[in-house]
Amino acid sequence: MSIPIYTYDAVIVGAGLAGCAAARELQNAGKHVAVITKLHPLRSHSGAAQGGINAALSDKDSIELHEFDTVKGSDYLADQDAVEFMCQKAPETIRWAERMGAAFSRTADGKIAQRPFGGQSSPRACYAKDRTGLTLLQTIYEQAFRAGVKFWDEWYAADIIYKDGKVSGVVAFNIRDMQMAIFNAKSVLFATGGYARSFKINSNAHANTGDGLSIVARHGLPLEDMEFVQFHPSGLSGNGVLISEAARGEGGRLFNSKGERFMERYAPNALELASRDVVSRAIMNEIREGRGVGPRKDAVFLDVTHLGKELIMERLPELRDLAITFLGLDMIKEPILISATAHYSMGGIPVDIPGHVRKNNDEFVEGFYAAGECSCVSVHGANRLGANSVLEALLFGRFVGKTMVEEIDSIPLRKATQEDANTALNEIIWILNNNGNETVPALRAELQDSMTHNAGAFRTQESLEEAVRKVKELRQRFKNIRIADKSKVFNTELQEAIELGHMLDYSAFIVESAVARRESRGAHYREDYLERDDVNFLKHTMAYMDKNGDLTLDYMPVTLGKHELKARNY
Amino acid sequence: MGTHKITTQDVTFKVFRFNADEDYLPYYKEYKMEVTSEEVVLDILNRIKWDHDGSFSYRRSCRHGICGACAIKVNGRATLACKESMNDMIELFGNEITLEPLSIKRSVKDMIIDKGDFWEKHAQVQPYLVSDIEDNPESEHLVSPEEAERLLDSDICIQCGACHYACPVVEVNEDFIGPAAFAKAYRFEADVRDEAGTSRISEVNQEAQGVWDCVKCYECQEACPKEVNPIEKITKLHNMIFTKGVAKNNVATRHAVGFKHSIAKHGLLDEGELVRYSEGNIGVIKHVPVAIKMFKKGKIVLPWNMPKADKLDEIKKLVKSSSTAKF
Repeated sequence: MSIPIYTYDAVIVGAGLAGCAAARELQNAGKHVAVITKLHPLRSHSGAAQGGINAALSDKDSIELHEFDTVKGSDYLADQDAVEFMCQKAPETIRWAERMGAAFSRTADGKIAQRPFGGQSSPRACYAKDRTGLTLLQTIYEQAFRAGVKFWDEWYAADIIYKDGKVSGVVAFNIRDMQMAIFNAKSVLFATGGYARSFKINSNAHANTGDGLSIVARHGLPLEDMEFVQFHPSGLSGNGVLISEAARGEGGRLFNSKGERFMERYAPNALELASRDVVSRAIMNEIREGRGVGPRKDAVFLDVTHLGKELIMERLPELRDLAITFLGLDMIKEPILISATAHYSMGGIPVDIPGHVRKNNDEFVEGFYAAGECSCVSVHGANRLGANSVLEALLFGRFVGKTMVEEIDSIPLRKATQEDANTALNEIIWILNNNGNETVPALRAELQDSMTHNAGAFRTQESLEEAVRKVKELRQRFKNIRIADKSKVFNTELQEAIELGHMLDYSAFIVESAVARRESRGAHYREDYLERDDVNFLKHTMAYMDKNGDLTLDYMPVTLGKHELKARNY
Repeated sequence: MGTHKITTQDVTFKVFRFNADEDYLPYYKEYKMEVTSEEVVLDILNRIKWDHDGSFSYRRSCRHGICGACAIKVNGRATLACKESMNDMIELFGNEITLEPLSIKRSVKDMIIDKGDFWEKHAQVQPYLVSDIEDNPESEHLVSPEEAERLLDSDICIQCGACHYACPVVEVNEDFIGPAAFAKAYRFEADVRDEAGTSRISEVNQEAQGVWDCVKCYECQEACPKEVNPIEKITKLHNMIFTKGVAKNNVATRHAVGFKHSIAKHGLLDEGELVRYSEGNIGVIKHVPVAIKMFKKGKIVLPWNMPKADKLDEIKKLVKSSSTAKF
């Protein structure tokens, strides 16, 4: 059976904020662009962002303060040139999104309203009630659609075509009928999102299985800072569904089983609005020391009742709805139950500011770009501040799109051949025919359990070594899987198997990078190395996987700047 | 309720199964499960797939009611699976629960339907802000909070399709644009920043496909999991069609005009006059036999016997103050 080869100037994988923003730039510049997404663009996880998008818009705020907060929040691991670029471009990005139709909440004089967020010196998060991501995703998709971008919905990107330091396309299949196709292009952008799905308690969509990261890693390309996984302080008890930081931004308070406002002990100045890693650990510690609440004593109270019904309905209506749906608790009348949840991936595909994917510390891959949560630029370093993620996705997505427009004519098209689809084809044939005795849901559950327990908000040498061992064991057992569904129509079981393969591969990066980083920095908290160690670890992890699946670790210097290293207190 | 106590119940699920490639007809399969008070419908779909039958297929993504992927029917009622608690479902329907796709005739595999028609209708209404977009604007548009509120939450529609496939007109008229796309059209028509002029509103004013073919059954409002209330937006579009001056002289618009005149004149609805307005002086003749029957049963009165409402003056004032439409 011959596989069709479609030729484009550019192919984008992922249709969230970053993918759609880049696609619009390319299309408006007259380039022939295709966007491949395993969902429909409007189902992308960008739409789940709730609380806000940062920009120093007001007279009382400044770009420099935004930079400082971001660098401090990152525990000094962010590259300061990238942070500077992001913070400077933030105001025009917000205004551009507004001009495209984003339905922001407004001040009395008609300007975009802003609210306080954790780790920020000024109310800086522009918001649309508690549906900021939704309005931004809708807006950028709508305008990309208006521009005439071709979207390939429910197509699963299975591989890249990578040879001799150049990427020249994507191999994908239609989830509906498993028809495979080669998308041959001068340049490829990965905007495939985050990877917190490998943790048991997480705030991520089912789709966030880190496919893009593993596809890249399997070609021997590096992944950067994978050990830094952010735990958000307020996931709903039990399932980890997100309750936005907006709840604390608007004045929400945390209490333990003794009725103590325990943040007074952990962050006496910033209290509930300390950075996310600080608040998450405080919550986990309260639970660990027996002061948890709820039926399993595995949560703390988040109380917003003092804000009053009117303000809650005006600014936090979705959150109230979520707590009613999942806990049966109405936050207008009573406190709700929350705990830390795996949320955001700071690490990812290493790129420079214009979005070129790194081949190593000094070289780049021709025709290959990445943007959004799957990339590591790195503006978040070891810990991201709330409302900087949608900013990063929209801003860098658009900017990398512009870079691609500028460079595309000087990149030669390397013609794809049928053989380029072989790896993806063999993977599918193998999964369909493998006749082992392991099941995908069981292996996935074991992975998620181990990641949460051994590589979670608190880590030790012992727990991380156990996680490394577990991932190795699961990767072996994965070779022995069997799926029940052999059909070619919406074979979502096959898809879950491919996704589990990706989760296992990038999880190896998380735990092996973490075990080597013997310090505590941002979200990576080692109980056996409590201090940040700038002498030995002020550097980015660059990890590579060989053909046998074994990892080697290397490091890359952090780009420092005007914000000097300091202890981080809130 | 609350989760201070977690309770469990036994439930029998009757689940719609169909694979377009292999099955000639769909069938139902039974799964018995112990359901906890913490679970939502999506948890059940996941458990069927992960614990019972890996081939069972459905769409899902965000799992907290914001991406719109997982809409299905539970005992015939449109539901966003990730946002509907099992306890509420059991309270409503008892311990036998039927899970079906939003539209059985469009099923491709199990809960997954072909939503091609839905996205075509979405595309039909210019689903984007029509405005020149500067690349680097120095300021935002100024939009007052009151102007922002005019969207009436139409911007939170997540395109789940629950209302579209609950709409009886969509079921019988393939040209009908449908409630979700109408809500989308309203979202931009209500936006003070939009510069589409009359192109979008004219699209929803077309006969056979437009808002005049809505039968006002309120099914869309019932089905919507986000309380977007599409029929409210459809009614607003009716008004906008007059205020924007794109109304055409047809049965539907004349019906609306007749309605208003009758209320303004009598404070009550003169059903005989309404028919004359809608159909015109000649068209009304074909309704005479029905009118005679109705008259005999006392359901309508002759024009000169039409009573007036008690507080007609107040009603007239109300009609005047609330009417911005150019009739």
